[in-house]
Amino acid sequence: MRLRKVRRAAVAALALAVVLPVAACGGSSGPSGGGDGDKTLTLWHMEQPPNRVAAFQKVIDAYNATNPEYKVQAQVQDWNQIYTKISSAVQSKTQPDILFTIPDFTTYVRPLGAVRPVTSLVEELDKEHTFGDAAKAAYRDDDQYWAVPLYGMVQMLWYRKDLFAKAGITEAPKTWSQLLDDAKKLTSGNQKGIAVPAGKNLATDQVIYSLMLTGGAGNFFTDSGQVAFDKPQTVAALSLYADLLKQSPSDAGNYSWGEPQAAFNSGAAAMAIEKGQYLAPFEKESGRPASDLGCAPIPQADTGGQPGSIYYSNAAMVLSPDDARAKGAEDFLRFVLKPENYGQFLNAEPGLFLPLTEDGATAPSWTDNEVIKKYQGCVDAMLEQSKTGGLFGFVDGQYVDSIGKVSGQNILAQVVQRVYSNGESPAAAVKWGQQQMQEAVSR
Amino acid sequence: MTTALRWHRVPRLLAMAALTVMVLGPLYWITMSAFKDREEILRSTPTIFPEHPTLENFRELFTATDYPSYLTNSFIVALLTAFFTMLVSFAAAYGLYRLRIPGGNKVAGLILVAYMIPGTLLLVPLYQVFAKVQLVDTRNALVIVNVAFTAPFCTWLLRGFFFAIPRDIDEAAAVDGAGPVRMMFRIVLPLLRPGLSTVGVYAFVFSWTEFVFASQLLVSDDLKTLPIGLSAIMGQYTVNWGLLMAGTVCTVIPAIVPFLFAGRYFVGGLTAGAVK
Repeated sequence: MRLRKVRRAAVAALALAVVLPVAACGGSSGPSGGGDGDKTLTLWHMEQPPNRVAAFQKVIDAYNATNPEYKVQAQVQDWNQIYTKISSAVQSKTQPDILFTIPDFTTYVRPLGAVRPVTSLVEELDKEHTFGDAAKAAYRDDDQYWAVPLYGMVQMLWYRKDLFAKAGITEAPKTWSQLLDDAKKLTSGNQKGIAVPAGKNLATDQVIYSLMLTGGAGNFFTDSGQVAFDKPQTVAALSLYADLLKQSPSDAGNYSWGEPQAAFNSGAAAMAIEKGQYLAPFEKESGRPASDLGCAPIPQADTGGQPGSIYYSNAAMVLSPDDARAKGAEDFLRFVLKPENYGQFLNAEPGLFLPLTEDGATAPSWTDNEVIKKYQGCVDAMLEQSKTGGLFGFVDGQYVDSIGKVSGQNILAQVVQRVYSNGESPAAAVKWGQQQMQEAVSR
Repeated sequence: MTTALRWHRVPRLLAMAALTVMVLGPLYWITMSAFKDREEILRSTPTIFPEHPTLENFRELFTATDYPSYLTNSFIVALLTAFFTMLVSFAAAYGLYRLRIPGGNKVAGLILVAYMIPGTLLLVPLYQVFAKVQLVDTRNALVIVNVAFTAPFCTWLLRGFFFAIPRDIDEAAAVDGAGPVRMMFRIVLPLLRPGLSTVGVYAFVFSWTEFVFASQLLVSDDLKTLPIGLSAIMGQYTVNWGLLMAGTVCTVIPAIVPFLFAGRYFVGGLTAGAVK
């Protein structure tokens, strides 16, 4: 009797062992691989927030509804994992057909060997829609374009007009000394003058770089690609950053993207330097009217300063294993950049994703968005700021192949941390940064 | 005397209270924040209770994101991981710690060495192997990896439970004519239930929180697990804190519940064999 029970239990366990994995198989569609009969193009993008995923999906659905030969399927990836993932995928020939990118990530992916040049497509789209020069330049190397520019991002100085008024400040700072003075005036009680990040992350890299640009230290490579980071302008920008950190919340050492915005919207900080993601949630998170949100160009160094801000275009690379699939991928990118579709794509994050084409900037599909209309002044200011923007490794017509090794290690952020957390002098930290960058690019 | 005893307890009570606040404080904060609107979450003067409690964050979580899909995937992967870990580690531990196999001790040591290899070193080679056998972007791949990482530790974890069962019982069963298989299932298995519960909970929680391999091996949105889903909610450039808090609450609860039932066995399993 008991033996029967044991047998039954054993049979049940075996049945579970067989049945459960079948349930676990799931409906994997997998990365492309490009099998002969497979008419689905895989698109990897790294815009993970649900609103962006949904908006991109709408554009993809609209494209698939046109009955193209190859339909597109999006798969959302994580920026933090994409470097390892794309490397593994290319090595195992399971890479996506379309991969979203930024300039320094492109320098990492190209040597893997799967990226197709898209020169004729970019030139065709340029004729039809007119790209800004800054949008294309960072993707041109070896006389070829390696990605199709899709949307731009630029940093601004954001400030709370209500808190400025309380402190008796009538206009946004234009120079570094005004920025620091205002930050000091705005710091009182629980309120800090500014929130800038000092974590070891890309957010810190980008904010310090905006100040380096306006201080004349944006180009830290020589014409031959050697590192030229250790110079007085870099030290001056880092000194300013260290002073601004003194007027920032005390946990700035852990800040990345979200925390300065949270401090700004809560009124715990009166200023921040970031991109256009500050527009959409401002009213909801701050409880203040839209008119309280101010924006201005990044303040410039008092002597030798120049207009500037970190600016880069996000783009799409084509990695299809055969010509037919590559043509399908190009057809999809043509569809995205048509003015009637482009606005819906950009408004996945209104204000953060800026148009890169002339007809896109005036397309009603973009300009009719509520957020864009409400903050028209700031949107125009961002487009204006884009004209003087730049990105490390790609300024002054450069294309530094090894820039991915510098940005991948967040060396700029580490330099900030050495001053902020270790109490090192800006000059010593910059010297250290120079050594680290030299080592990184020589590997 | 009674008063003196009570005073004697004060430091201990204070320490316990401090520890409770330290451990449960963040959980409380996350839970309360999940019921606040976005403005109240960020307010510079924080509120202990939501002023205007709202379920909006939860509504958005379940309607505007793929959270239900992440939840289902996590449950499937975690349950399968727990099941197969119990199966594999029970069989392995029985062989190693119950049967007198020559070299059994050395094999037991080797199993623990396998546990000490950092998982991230295996990322790229594992991806390539799974790609060759068409397992990339399947839940099976995650279950296999999770079991591979939990089984060695769980085999070792069962050691104390096995040692707590007197060998005399085996001998008595053998005298009654029970063979090794019957002894394993009829005698040892029922006595090992606390140990297997411990192993099941450990494997479930390991799988529930596993991020690195899930982020590499899963590509399709409809197969992603909770840690990947939560990371997606964090996003690049901006964070919807309300959504994140609601997601965290819904993710933590299923991991806590098994511990409530099997937590005491788990602690017992870790300390078993420490004192003779």
